[in-house]
Amino acid sequence: MGSRVFGDRLELLSARSKKAGAVARITMKQQMAYKTDFIMRASFMLMILYVFVQLWSAAYDGDAGRVINGFTLKQIIWYLVFTEAITMGVPALCGLIENEVKNGDIAIRLIRPLSYIGYHYAAYLSEAVFRFYIHLAVGGAIAWLCVGPPTFGLGWAGLFSLTLGALTIAFLLNMIVALCALWVEETRGMEFVLHKLQFTVGGMLLPLDLMPEPLQRVCAWLPFQAMLYFPARTAVNFGAAPLLQQFVIQAAWIAVLAAAVMLMYRRGVSKLHVNGG
Amino acid sequence: MSTEDNEQAGGLRSVSRTGRLRGTLAFLITCWKVNLASAMEYRASFFMMAGMMFINNFMWLFFWSLFFGKFQVVNGWEMGDVMMMWAVGAGGFGWANMLFGNFNRIAPIVAAGQLDVYLSQPKPVLLHVLASRMSLTAAGDFFFGLVVYAWVGNHSLAGLLQFLLGLLLSGLLFMGITILAGCLAFFIGNAEGLAQQVFNSFVALSTYPSDIFKGLARTLLFTLLPAGFISFLPIGLLRDFDPAFVWKAVAATLAFGALAVLAFRLGLKRYASGNAITLRG
Amino acid sequence: MLYREEAPKYAKGAGQVVALQTQALRKVFTVKRKDAGLAGSFRSLLKPSWEEKVAVRSIDLTVQRGEMVAFLGPNGAGKSTTIKMLTGILHPSSGEAKVLGCTPWREREKLAFRIGAVFGQKSQLWYHLPPIDTFDLISRIYELDRADYHARRDDLIERFELGPYLHTPVRKLSLGERMRCEIAVSFLHRPQLLFLDEPTIGLDVVVKQRIRELIREVNRDEGTTVFLTSHDAGDMEELCSRAVVIHHGGILLDAPVDRLKREVLNRKIISLTLAAGYDASMLPPLPGTEVIAGEGRRLKLGVDLAVTDIEAVLGTVIGTYRLDDVTVEDPPMEEIIAHIYGTGG
Repeated sequence: MGSRVFGDRLELLSARSKKAGAVARITMKQQMAYKTDFIMRASFMLMILYVFVQLWSAAYDGDAGRVINGFTLKQIIWYLVFTEAITMGVPALCGLIENEVKNGDIAIRLIRPLSYIGYHYAAYLSEAVFRFYIHLAVGGAIAWLCVGPPTFGLGWAGLFSLTLGALTIAFLLNMIVALCALWVEETRGMEFVLHKLQFTVGGMLLPLDLMPEPLQRVCAWLPFQAMLYFPARTAVNFGAAPLLQQFVIQAAWIAVLAAAVMLMYRRGVSKLHVNGG
Repeated sequence: MSTEDNEQAGGLRSVSRTGRLRGTLAFLITCWKVNLASAMEYRASFFMMAGMMFINNFMWLFFWSLFFGKFQVVNGWEMGDVMMMWAVGAGGFGWANMLFGNFNRIAPIVAAGQLDVYLSQPKPVLLHVLASRMSLTAAGDFFFGLVVYAWVGNHSLAGLLQFLLGLLLSGLLFMGITILAGCLAFFIGNAEGLAQQVFNSFVALSTYPSDIFKGLARTLLFTLLPAGFISFLPIGLLRDFDPAFVWKAVAATLAFGALAVLAFRLGLKRYASGNAITLRG
Repeated sequence: MLYREEAPKYAKGAGQVVALQTQALRKVFTVKRKDAGLAGSFRSLLKPSWEEKVAVRSIDLTVQRGEMVAFLGPNGAGKSTTIKMLTGILHPSSGEAKVLGCTPWREREKLAFRIGAVFGQKSQLWYHLPPIDTFDLISRIYELDRADYHARRDDLIERFELGPYLHTPVRKLSLGERMRCEIAVSFLHRPQLLFLDEPTIGLDVVVKQRIRELIREVNRDEGTTVFLTSHDAGDMEELCSRAVVIHHGGILLDAPVDRLKREVLNRKIISLTLAAGYDASMLPPLPGTEVIAGEGRRLKLGVDLAVTDIEAVLGTVIGTYRLDDVTVEDPPMEEIIAHIYGTGG
């Protein structure tokens, strides 16, 4: 590879991105077959957010001016819209990979001239981004009605720019758990733990700022904050922390987690056990 | 719930009512024994699933402890009340799902035409369907309820009786609403998603303090989607015993239970006459 | 290995290039053993005991370009595992393999451009989408030139007569229609070597026949090397010139199909359903025919084709009994293998 001239590399890169694009497109098309599923999920999100609006309105005594740890009621509600949209945007990767390994469908992926992890990343991203926008629209509608318009200015730029990294981190975390399927039979338990960690120390239901000081210090050293807290907090409180710093933290976690994923994949695939005589 | 269905099972044989009741009870106990035995076959996964559910519920309490760490009292609710709400809700859900684990699967069972097996056997159909499955995660829910009660509950005799009544009401209410929603599958096609949605929403709504809701939402919570009768139990039954609320909660539970049984029997007639919309072959 | 001749003798002509070659290819799976009971579960959690399961013992094989080789054996013989090693999906425990000059498990992606694979029990088509979408995806994955892709696709659609199904979601296609799409898709990037793992499994006779014709056609026109596994002896008889039979993870027989037909596949099974109960005394003596089973209205006959033929036997049977149903089939692979042991040992 090192001896290749620049033009060749560019060509290689364009072929790769076309492949990824094709995978993303077909995943998106297949998504359309699950329309009712989408409506169900969206309506459930609608209800949950309504409950949260009620809960936090009660906690704030309906006082729109009150500020708690830097958050007004409106900011809290929109924060929850963003974390929910990301959380519900992430497809169930673990079950998918575990099934591919268990029933041998992984063979269909591996006969193709493309990277297994790369294939899943392309498919994942297309599904996740699509679902993120749908949930954002649905959640945004109810938040707008209840607490007012999202006048976050630059915060929106912060949200969208940090969400790509957030979804990538979510992909890598889920992939690490999913690849455990190459060694153990059941990954559900580990997936469950992962979700619960996102749920709490990721800041899904409660911004980290509202947590006790010692807990906040622990969260700062974990990758979960970069997945939910960073984009949502930056959206509603742009400038609370330097954007660049958050990018660097995300990039560092992506590098670490991607290395772990590649290592696990290389180790795991060499001892793959595909069913069938 | 059981006596109403019994009439279908009596058939030509004239057996005394108490005899039939005893037969049904023996049958139920056998169902539970078989369920338990099969759960024990997969002990490792049973304990894992139950343990996971237990931890899951604790995670919610963790969230609430952070929340109340900031606010202490929200519309009259304190941390202890929310904990008891989870104890009553998860505990009631737990026992219902252990003993009658199919209650949230009525719609898929009907849609897949799996009722035929139950219809061909001389036992109350609904009861038989319900008791034919034991949810593995439910044991975790039930145990969680007991642990939280032991931790923060009122341990006097009256307190214990109130807690047990709370468990009974919440379990029955979960079953009534969910079966009612499941029965939609008898009358409209593709009702599985909808029934699942009603079930999910009902469960979710029963885990938030009912006093945060106002106006129309609150009215709905005590009428159409009566999750409020579960989520208000820690206040109206356990903390400040309110006879008017308890009376209404009992009436609502009975009413929704009766409605569920009625809907199932009407649906069964439709099913038996071949009018039910079965989508899967 | 009981009897075997050197493989190159069956190549179509001298001076051909090797498509694939393996040396002592071996795959051993380690399976965690779990003792019964709760205590056992805990023990295996703390100190797991591993059990070795040999899927492929040792395979030495050479296939020339353009050959059509049948890879036969009963379930669990190691057919799929071998194919999966040759396509780079599984890494072998030991041994070497070169497929089109690549070591599959080290150069999986590079090799993948030049080979194709169809797994009869696994669909590569997108379930909720029409086959045309999968064609498009595959064209991108294999980096096909657009104009070339469209021409190639249209040619395959015509050959495989896919026109009517092209825009129907895959979930609504019959198994036969789906299988034709699966095979057409795998030809899209003009693979030099095609692996077919049970391509006709679960299909009815007519569809099987059609699929075999199509595979033969592409092999003839494009010189595609075909490596096919099957437990259906018919696939081998009609498609391949050379058969490799494996059993217990090793090669039991490597011979031209003609010879196999003559020496091993010289038996057919006739299963009959009689209109009335079977009465042994009514049946006149038939040379080269044995009664395998006769009970109630069912009668099963084994016919040695070296001695007699199906027509003669059926003629006699029809003259003796009134029949409700007749099927003629090849003996199951297990029986063929037992037979090879018998004659070769």
